[in-house]
Amino acid sequence: MSSIPADLSYTAEHEWVLTPTAGGVVRVGITDFAQDALGDVVYVQMPEAGTEVSADTVVGEVESTKSVSDIYAPLTGTVTARNEALDADPSLINSDPYGDGWLVEITLADAASYSTLLSAAEYQEKVG
Amino acid sequence: MSELSEELLHGPLHQWHVDHGAKMAEFGGWLMPLQYDGGGVVAEHTAVRTAVGLFDVSHLGKAEIRGAGAVAFANRCLSNDLERIQPGHAQYTLALTDRGTVTDDLIAYMRGEDDLFLIPNAANTAAVVAALEAARAAEGAELEITDLHRSYGVFAVQGPLANTVMAAVGLPQPADYMSFVDATVNINGADVALTVCRTGYTGELGYEVVPAWHDAAAVWEALAAAVEIAGGRAAGLGARDTLRTEMGYALHGHELSTEITPVEAGIGWAVGWKKAAFWGKEVLTAQKADGAPRKSVGLLATDRGVPRAGVNVLDAEGNIVGHTTSGTFSPTLGNGVALALVDPAVELGQALALDIRGRRLGVNVVKPPFVKASTKA
Repeated sequence: MSSIPADLSYTAEHEWVLTPTAGGVVRVGITDFAQDALGDVVYVQMPEAGTEVSADTVVGEVESTKSVSDIYAPLTGTVTARNEALDADPSLINSDPYGDGWLVEITLADAASYSTLLSAAEYQEKVG
Repeated sequence: MSELSEELLHGPLHQWHVDHGAKMAEFGGWLMPLQYDGGGVVAEHTAVRTAVGLFDVSHLGKAEIRGAGAVAFANRCLSNDLERIQPGHAQYTLALTDRGTVTDDLIAYMRGEDDLFLIPNAANTAAVVAALEAARAAEGAELEITDLHRSYGVFAVQGPLANTVMAAVGLPQPADYMSFVDATVNINGADVALTVCRTGYTGELGYEVVPAWHDAAAVWEALAAAVEIAGGRAAGLGARDTLRTEMGYALHGHELSTEITPVEAGIGWAVGWKKAAFWGKEVLTAQKADGAPRKSVGLLATDRGVPRAGVNVLDAEGNIVGHTTSGTFSPTLGNGVALALVDPAVELGQALALDIRGRRLGVNVVKPPFVKASTKA
C-alpha cells in the first residue's frame, strides 16, 4: 500500500502539495503511488524559476526506465524554485517522494486556491 | 489490467512472482514479471552486470522436429546454416517469410541429426510451427513437428557470478559459447532432468536452463536461493530489455518484424547465404546484392532525456531520416540509447536528433554494442 501523508493535499494527477507558507509558496512533488507506478525515475524535466504556470496544464515530465509521465501545475502561480538535486539524482523521487524528491516550489497567484485540492482521504479514495 | 490478466497465460512460476511482489505485464500473450518488489529495473540490471541475475523466461516457445533428416529439413527452412554446428551446439537462426522478412528469430538446439529443439519467441511460436509443418507437408517428409510451449520452463542465469550459482545448484557449466548439455541433477532429493545451454540475452556470461514444466518450480527455487547467497537477485523482463538494448541485440516486434529483413537489421551473419535453400532466399539474396533501403544503427543520446521506440530520427536540417525501433535509458552508461532503422546514407559519428514529443533530443550515430559484451569471458 502506498504512503499518503495526512498533512499534504493532492491532485487527481498524483501530485502532492504542501500547505502554503505565509508568503503563499507551496512545494510540489509526485506521490508514492505515482513513483511506484512509474518505476525507476531516470530523468526529470521541470520549469525554470520565473516560469508562470496555470493550474492543470503540463509544465514538465518525469521519465522512468519504462515510461514517461507529464508533470502538471497543481495550481496557478509562478515557479520560484526547482529541485536542482534531481538533475544529478532523479532517483530521489523514488527513494523519498515526499521529501528530497520534491519537484518545484510555486508562489500561488491566489493562496486561497489551495483549498480546491484533494485531502489525503479523498486522494486515498481515488487510488484505492 | 485485472480483466486483461485473466486472458493471459501463466508460466510455471506465476505464483512465486506474485508472492515476491512482482509487477506483472503482458509479454507475447503471457503474464510475466516486469520487475520485483525491492528491486526495480535499475537495481536488477545492475545486479546482472556486476553479480548475477535470475530470469524466468518460460513464456518463450519450445518446439521440436524429430525423425530421420530432421536437421537437414530445418536447414532447408531456417536461415542460418546448421552445417556450421555439431550436435550439442545451439544456433541463432531466423524463420523468414517468402518476402525475406522475419517471422521470428529463434535458437535451434541440435540434439542430433534426427532431433532439433527450438526456442522461438512466445508470440511467434504458433506461426513458426505452422510454417514448418506446412513445409513438411509440402515435402511429404516423415517428421514429427511438435509445439511444446507448455512442456518446459526456461530460466536464464546471467552475470559474472553465473558459474557460482550453477555450481551451488549442481548444474553443469558448458564452457563453449552456444554449447549445451543434458543433465540429471538432484534437487531436494529428487532427480530432475534438464538442459543447460551457454547462452543468454544480456551480454554477460550466462546459461539458459530448460527443465520440464512440472519440475520448473523446484529448479527455480534452488536457483533463486543460490542467486541470493551469491549477492544477486531475481530480475524481471524490464531489466532484460535494458540489458539487451545496451548490447544492441534485436527484439522481434522492434528490430525484427515481418516488415524488416535481416539485411536491413544488420544480422546477415545469421543467414547461410551459400545454402541451396532457405525460406525467403531469392528476395533476400537480391536485396543483399542491390543494397537494402534502410540500415540498422545505434544512437547514443548527447542530451539528457530518454529515447523511446517509434520516434522519428531527424538530420541537421530537420529531415526525417529514419525511426527508432527501441529506446531506453542505459543504467550502465547513465545515458539514453536507441536502436534505429535509418537511410543508408547516415554515417557513423553523424549528429542526428530524435523528435521526442516535439522536443529535439540530440544523438550520435554509433555501432552497437553500447556496453562491451562479456558473454565469452
